[in-house]
Amino acid sequence: MDSVKQIAENTPETSADSSDLPMAAAEPVPIRPERRQSPRTWETPPAPAPPPHLDDYRAIVGEAELDELRFLARDLKRKSVKMVNSTAVGGGVAEMLNRLVPLLGELEVTTHWDVITGGNDFYEVTKAFHNALHGSAYDLTRQAQEIFLMYNEQNRQRMQFPEDVVVIHDPQPAALIGARENTSARWVWRCHIDLSNPDPRVWGFLRPFIEQFDAAIFSSQSFARQLPIPQYLFYPCIDPLSEKNKELDDSFVQKVCDEFGVDRSRPIVTQVSRFDRLKDPVGVVQAFKLARKYVDCQLVLAGGGASDDPEGAVVLQEVKETAGNDPDIIILDLPPWCALEINALQRASTLVVQKSIKEGFGLTVTEALWKGKPTIGGAVGGIPNQIIHKLTGALVHSVEGCAYQIRYLLTHPEFAAQLGKNGHEHVKENFLMTTNVRRWLLLFRILLGRRTT
Amino acid sequence: MTNATVVPTIQRAPAKPFFFHTSAHLLRITRLKANTLGELLDALRQCPDDAIFEHTFRTLQEHHFIREGFSNDFAHWALSDCNEPSLAERLASVDVRAFTSVSELRERFVQIVDSYLQRNPGVGSRMAQETFYFCAADIVILPTSFVASTMHEFAEGVRRVSLHSIHHHFIEARLRIKLMSNDFSQWLHEDVGLTETARALNRIDIYTGTLEDVRGQIVRIVERALI
Repeated sequence: MDSVKQIAENTPETSADSSDLPMAAAEPVPIRPERRQSPRTWETPPAPAPPPHLDDYRAIVGEAELDELRFLARDLKRKSVKMVNSTAVGGGVAEMLNRLVPLLGELEVTTHWDVITGGNDFYEVTKAFHNALHGSAYDLTRQAQEIFLMYNEQNRQRMQFPEDVVVIHDPQPAALIGARENTSARWVWRCHIDLSNPDPRVWGFLRPFIEQFDAAIFSSQSFARQLPIPQYLFYPCIDPLSEKNKELDDSFVQKVCDEFGVDRSRPIVTQVSRFDRLKDPVGVVQAFKLARKYVDCQLVLAGGGASDDPEGAVVLQEVKETAGNDPDIIILDLPPWCALEINALQRASTLVVQKSIKEGFGLTVTEALWKGKPTIGGAVGGIPNQIIHKLTGALVHSVEGCAYQIRYLLTHPEFAAQLGKNGHEHVKENFLMTTNVRRWLLLFRILLGRRTT
Repeated sequence: MTNATVVPTIQRAPAKPFFFHTSAHLLRITRLKANTLGELLDALRQCPDDAIFEHTFRTLQEHHFIREGFSNDFAHWALSDCNEPSLAERLASVDVRAFTSVSELRERFVQIVDSYLQRNPGVGSRMAQETFYFCAADIVILPTSFVASTMHEFAEGVRRVSLHSIHHHFIEARLRIKLMSNDFSQWLHEDVGLTETARALNRIDIYTGTLEDVRGQIVRIVERALI
């Protein structure tokens, strides 16, 4: 079976309910290209591309920016750093470390990356902790605490910490801080999760460990807690050279659109996200239908999660029911390794929507802004850090608001283009991998008392 | 003819070279936050100097690509989250280049918010849509590979350094040198003797263009002095 499922059928164009017909009904009905039933994409994950070198970013951020990184790193050349997390593959943290560690190494900041180990019981506990820190209710038992501490102690005995800076990622290895009394290192806790509304018992259990660090790092101001240590803000970032974000030949973009039946001669509105209620894909379909009464456009909902997540399958079914037989709504359930196809769909889009109801940072917004796309986002989580309303995109709070912004931006292309241009610059300044490298170097210098050169 | 076009046509060897530096900032989250304009006023009075710096000088760098409609974080929050356009306009009209110390700048913001809340007493306790989190900037000063021993090299340096360096020398500088000026103008005046060129640079409006536009204006003024 093809691993890519194209859900919407190539149905006759006469199926739209009369209430959904465009007001300008006299407009000629556009001719749509034939949509393949089984688009060609990867059946299995392709081999990962080798990580880029620092010089590969020169064309994107400029020589002066790279020079600044080199100057920042100059006083750290005899220093070493250890990064510790709980997984070597899969997930955003491992993906980020896979890029960050080689770049720091290239800047001659010796960086080791260690992964803790644990049994299934440990990962069950840490998964529950993760959910509880995100706000889910959780009955913290003594047994769960003992399992957490036992595996942290096993890892502490196995690992050594001769480096100058030790960075612990997320809660799983947080109790390794117990090793600091035998080291002269500065210890940093990098929290990648939303701590704005944590379960008080789990946070109460972890907090004494966190307070022993020299600094903590959060992804948003609202995720920070009242702690007696300095707390820094590191926004998540995207890699402009990754498959998801790199420049593509227009011929490839066209090929992907052809395969998915997306008509590039007409406006394309796209949301890329898992079929998850918090991403409100049903609301996007509703907003699209409202907007299309006024403007001709297509909707692409490209996501995943329906095949390996029972709730995702339910949400996908709801989306299909809301979409009906509308031939202008293209729903794609893609496997996670279709980064190039996602990239192509984003680049083909006239507008990108991320109408989330709850959100972490919203890296799909970052991706869209980087591609210069006018972007409409729900005003939740980290999206307002990226979308400054009417300056780098449009923030919305409702289906109706989303519909209005789709109409407005499709009918004011110059304004939309300016938003896209500003959004691209915003990402370039604040949310790229090179900015992330800069932040780490700055932090190391500050922790090691090297503020001036 | 405006003063900006009256630049000397002389070309002099600088008394000493101009060393281009840059500053890198790391955002620190402070314990202060505001959910109402009243809380904003309290926090404005209590927050550390580097928080005032972050939400005024530094945010201009972070949003250097915006041509209009963005001045400082306080004004932005007053408009977008408190829906107080009149207060937002007043806050946005504060030109950071009119201040040589953060304490004076803080006093100006306190004065604006305080007087607004006195005139509109019901507004101070109304909940904002989103919380304002006070952040602060930890700064590291860095050299660059650009040094100018001639005016031509200076123009080339301005063209090629990062926008962080332009911000460091042209906008942040007044907090360091405690003068209503900037590093470029000071060098042109004191070490090159191009006083009118120095003044012309100082008149560039940083609020009606992007920082890249500002760089372009600096280069054009310096090039006119080379003719």
